[in-house]
Amino acid sequence: MFSTKLKLAVSVLLICILSIYFVGAVAQSAEDETMKAAFIYVGPVGDYGWSHAHDVARKKVDEQFDWLETVYVESVDEAACEATIDQVVRDGADVVFTTSFGFMDPTVKAAEKHPETIFFHCSGVKRAPNLGTYFAELHQTYYLNGLMAGALTESDQLGYVGAFPTPEVKRHINAFAIGAREVNPEAEVQVRWINDWYNPAAAKEATQALISAGVDALAFTEDSPTVLQVAQEEGAIGFSHYSPMYRFAKDATVSGQLVDWAVLYEDILMKIREGIYTSDNLEDVDYWWMLKEGAAEIGAKGDIPINPKYVEKLKEKQVEDPLLGKLSVFELIQKRLEQMKAERVLFDPFIGPLYSRGGRQILQQNEWATHDQLWQMQWAVEGVVGPWPGEPKS
Amino acid sequence: MILSWIAAALSRMVSYGTPLLLGTLGEIYAERSGVLNLGVEGMMILGAVSAFATAYTTGNPWLALLAAAAAGGLSSLIHGFFSISLRANQVISGLALTMFGLGLSGLFGKGFAGLPLDNPLPKVTVPLLAEVPLLGTALFQDKSPLIYLGILLTPVLWFLLFRTSLGVNIRSVGENPAAADAAGLNVWRIRYGCVFFGGVMAGLAGGFLSVAYRPAWTQGMTSGMGWIVVALTIFASWNPTRGLFGAYFFGLLFYLSYRLQPWLAPEILQMAPYLGAVLALVLINLFQKRKGGPEALMEPYKRGEK
Repeated sequence: MFSTKLKLAVSVLLICILSIYFVGAVAQSAEDETMKAAFIYVGPVGDYGWSHAHDVARKKVDEQFDWLETVYVESVDEAACEATIDQVVRDGADVVFTTSFGFMDPTVKAAEKHPETIFFHCSGVKRAPNLGTYFAELHQTYYLNGLMAGALTESDQLGYVGAFPTPEVKRHINAFAIGAREVNPEAEVQVRWINDWYNPAAAKEATQALISAGVDALAFTEDSPTVLQVAQEEGAIGFSHYSPMYRFAKDATVSGQLVDWAVLYEDILMKIREGIYTSDNLEDVDYWWMLKEGAAEIGAKGDIPINPKYVEKLKEKQVEDPLLGKLSVFELIQKRLEQMKAERVLFDPFIGPLYSRGGRQILQQNEWATHDQLWQMQWAVEGVVGPWPGEPKS
Repeated sequence: MILSWIAAALSRMVSYGTPLLLGTLGEIYAERSGVLNLGVEGMMILGAVSAFATAYTTGNPWLALLAAAAAGGLSSLIHGFFSISLRANQVISGLALTMFGLGLSGLFGKGFAGLPLDNPLPKVTVPLLAEVPLLGTALFQDKSPLIYLGILLTPVLWFLLFRTSLGVNIRSVGENPAAADAAGLNVWRIRYGCVFFGGVMAGLAGGFLSVAYRPAWTQGMTSGMGWIVVALTIFASWNPTRGLFGAYFFGLLFYLSYRLQPWLAPEILQMAPYLGAVLALVLINLFQKRKGGPEALMEPYKRGEK
C-alpha cells in the first residue's frame, strides 16, 4: 500500500507541523505608530511561577499602553533562543525581552546581529549599547519571610526546597536563614535541592522529606504551588513564591515573595518610547529593583501581606533589637519594611558582622554586602544545614 | 523514631510509585502485543489535563478519572493508527504522540492553570488493615483509591497475561504475528486493544497526578514520568508483578534521594533506577535464552510479508 519511506516522511512531516503549530510564535506586522515588544520565556506561561509572572506583567503593560503591541514565545529552549530572537526581530519587534539567565549569551549575540533593535535581558550580567539588564531581587522579602518563619516555628526546624544551587537561590536561602535567626537563634534551615526550576513531583517529595525530618515551616524556589499544597496537607506553614499562591493553601500560606515585573516593564518601555533609551545608550542600564521600587513585595496574595491567622502570634512574640529596642516580631517586620522602602535604604539583611557556616567572616561590623558580593554569593550563612554545592572551602 | 521514618518512606513509595505503576502496567500490555509506545508522556499529560478540567467544571473527581482514561485511550489510537494500520515507524509515531500531547494539553489547559481544586479525589482508609503496625499506617491509611487499584490490578493483569488464553494470544501476537495470524488470531484487533489499554492506564496515571497526587493543573506537570514508565517496562522485563516492584522501587529511591540528601549525593539515588533498567537488560540478554523483549516488538505486521 504505502512504502515505508513514504510513511516515515509523513510521520516526520507530522512531527514538524505539530511542533511548529504548538510552540507557535504568532506575530503580526507592526504599524508605524505602535511599538512592538517581544517576550521570550523559558517555561510555559501556565507554570504559575516565573514565566507566568512575566506574562502577567506583559498583559498588564499591553493593556495599559495604546501605543504598545506585545507578542510572546513560551517554552523556549536555550539552544533555540537565538533563532527565536531572529524570528521575532524579522517579524518586526522593536524591543525584545529575554527572561532567563540561560538566554544571556544568545541575547548578546543577537544584539550584535541586530544593532537597531533594543534588547533587555532579565537576570544577566552582560550589557551592550543596545542591550540592558533588569532584575527584580527578592532577598529582602525572603528575609522578612524568615522573620515570620523563625517566630512561628515550633520545632525550630525550617525547610527550603531549592531549585538549582545558583547564587540567586543561595542568596535567598541565606536571607531567609538570617531573618529566622534574628528572631530565633535556635532556628535552622534544612535545604533540599531538586535540580529543576519546575518539577512538581520532585518538589512534593522533597517537601515530604523535609517534614519527615522535623521541619514545620517551608520556603522554596520552584515554579509551582506544590510545596504549599503539601504544607497545607501536613499541617505545616510556608511562603508563596513569585506568584500569589494563597488560594492553593489558605491555612498554610503565611506570606510570601511577590514580584511585580510590570513596574519594571512600564519603566523600561516608557523610557524607550520617550527616547531616553535608544539602541546605543544601554551599556550601563541595569535595573536591580526591590521593595523600594515596588518590584518586590511580601504577601500571601496581593491584598494579604500577612495571613491574618498568624498576625496574633507574630504580635505576641517579643524580640530585642540593639537599635530598635524591645518590640514584637510583627512590629519588627513593619519597621524593616519601612527601612527597606525608604528613599535612602536604611537596612539590608546582608550587613556585618556576618559569618559563613564554615566560620569565615564575610562582612565586618556594619559593612554592607556589595552588589557583586550579592550577585556572586556562594557561601552559606550559619544556621543553614544540608548539602551546598560549590561552597568555598574555608 | 526509626519506625516513623520507615513508615513515611513506605507511604511516599506507594504514592509516587502509583502513577508509574499504572503507566507501566499499560505499557507492558502494549509492548507484549508488539507495539512500542513512546507516547506515554503525551497520553499521561492529556489524561492529567482532562481529569483536572472535568473535576474543576463538574466537581466530580470520579468523573475526572473516567475522562482521564478516555483521553489516554483515545489519544493512544493515534499511535495505533500510524503504527498498526499505516505500519509507520513506532518510535517516530510514539515520539510524535508525546509532542502532540504536551502541546495540546498546554493549549487546552491554558484556562485551568493556577486554579485550586476544591474537590480532589478523596482519600480512603482500609478498615482493619490500617490497624496493622507500621505497614498498615504506611500503606492503608489515608491513601488514594488509585493506589489500591494499582495494587489490585497487578496480580490480575499478571494472571491474565500468563495464565489465560487471552494472555497467550497477546503474547503470541507480540512474538510472532505471522504465526498468530495463521493460527486464526486477529493481530490487528489484539494490537489495537493492547495499545488502547496502555493509553487508558497512562491517562489514569495522569489523572492521579492532577486530581489526587497534587490537585492542580500546571503545564508540563508530568515532568518526564512517561519516560520513566518506558524505562520501567524494560526494567520489569515486561512482567506486571515485576512492574509493581520496579515502580515502587523507583518511588522509594525518588523519595530517599531527598530524605537522605544531607548524607548522600541525590544524583546517585536518582541514577539508580535507570542503571537498574540497563542492568536488567544486560542480565536478561546474558542469562536468558530468548531475547528480553517480545520478539516482534517494533515490527509492523502485514499479512503475507515475511
